[in-house]
Amino acid sequence: MKARLVPCLLVLAALAAPSARAEEKVASVLKGDRDLGEYLSSECVTCHQPSGKQVGAIPVIIGWPEDQFVAVMHSFKRRERDNQVMQTMASRLSDEEMAALAAYFGSLKPGVKN
Amino acid sequence: MSMNRRQLLAATGALIAAPHVARADARPRVVIIGGGAGGATAAKYIAKDSGGKIDVTLIEPSRTFVTCFHSNLYLGGFKDMKAITHSYEALKNHGVKVIHSRVAMIDRENKRVELDDSSHQAYDRLIVAPGIDLKYDSVPGWGQAFEEVMPHAWKAGKQTEILRAKLDAVPDGGTIVMIAPPNPYRCPPGPYERVSMMAYRLQQAGKKKARIVIIDPKESFSKQGLFQEGWEKHYPGMVEWLGPKIHDGLKSVDPKTGTVVTGFETYTNAALVNVIPAQMAGKIARDAKLVNETGYCPIKPETMQSAIDPLIYVIGDAAIAGDMPKSAFAANSQAKVAAMMIRGELIGARTFPARYANTCWSLISPNNTVKVGGSYGPKDGRIASVETFVSKVGETDAQRKEQQDENTGWYAGITADMFQ
Repeated sequence: MKARLVPCLLVLAALAAPSARAEEKVASVLKGDRDLGEYLSSECVTCHQPSGKQVGAIPVIIGWPEDQFVAVMHSFKRRERDNQVMQTMASRLSDEEMAALAAYFGSLKPGVKN
Repeated sequence: MSMNRRQLLAATGALIAAPHVARADARPRVVIIGGGAGGATAAKYIAKDSGGKIDVTLIEPSRTFVTCFHSNLYLGGFKDMKAITHSYEALKNHGVKVIHSRVAMIDRENKRVELDDSSHQAYDRLIVAPGIDLKYDSVPGWGQAFEEVMPHAWKAGKQTEILRAKLDAVPDGGTIVMIAPPNPYRCPPGPYERVSMMAYRLQQAGKKKARIVIIDPKESFSKQGLFQEGWEKHYPGMVEWLGPKIHDGLKSVDPKTGTVVTGFETYTNAALVNVIPAQMAGKIARDAKLVNETGYCPIKPETMQSAIDPLIYVIGDAAIAGDMPKSAFAANSQAKVAAMMIRGELIGARTFPARYANTCWSLISPNNTVKVGGSYGPKDGRIASVETFVSKVGETDAQRKEQQDENTGWYAGITADMFQ
């Protein structure tokens, strides 16, 4: 049983690896379109305050490193992270759109009127 | 900044079409009627994102805005009136001119809005966001003259205070009857969140023998399984929901005696009757003939432009927004699409394909909040769901608490997005 499981896991790992690498590539290669990001961000700021103020369970999403922002959005899109609102919002975002959002929110600084 | 051909033509057109009378201020003008979740958001976004290139005027009769969303939390005692009341002052910092006046009429032919004080505001683009009006004649025996005796509280403010005062006067063992509205109406889960808050407040006051009967014209309602699970768990025996097959139709109410007559039963001496009547687009939209036979305003799903007048955009509860519910979140989302498209038309700003979103959180008891929502986009001439979600029956206490914390954060977020 164990012997059979190991190759399966190896195959899974091999399948998973390129997608993880592709993601890193997306974050580093895709230069986010800030205008697009600003428009898309209007969907986010109904809950997440662009001033960087945290209230309740709505986290601050400004000033993050872009690759981290993209990784988190992908984890919602793949439904690894559990929140129905975020899974729904992330599921229709393309790689380009995630990069655009990452660029936009990444450029905002706390304490500044954004 | 690039401009496509359509935007260039539109921008040029706007310049040519502009004022018959010479004005010192040659900027294109946008007038927004209604300062709710749709109108306030649109005003702010057009002013903020156009960097002063568009003259933005918001017309709203009230000096402050009491949010209908979270007014049920006032009813339950979780928030005071101040916490759900907001000022328009900060919109001025974005360059929005706020006029506290009532609109008498929209003169579509001359592209201007006439105000009650006989002044007028000319527009290149107009946003109509009046919200809903109540159909006072939809409940036999009831009407505007009786709205203080049998409050609706479906527009927040004084009505909400009347409803809470009457709720607090209900004796233990007293009966509350809620007349729920037919579709489509503002805030689909609202009546049922309200019932939850009423039951909570009665329970807190030790009035556990009071009961709430819901006379509903609908066969089913938003988040039904979740609410019914919550009522059973938190308020056993206090809430009774009756669909149309069970009550056999609402026949009449008598505000003088607190009587509600249905096909099957007559409720006499009700301690409180909360009438939430049928609804339609606000009067100003109806008078301007922006509505169709449904009583609401048809729009183009790609832009939120009126299907009847291309210079007018209708957003929020007054619009026919396909699969989107009538909610503050939805109005806020539609406002951002309209704001972007108007900037595209008037100053050639970049535009992107419309996308919409909504989430509605409902509080059932302290730390037990459920949610429903989705993403939406234009499809086949209407706004259609892309993906939707709803909380599940049997979620853990921790999850429900987390959702209440989201609800708190969302309220702070959307009101900042509208007013700051």
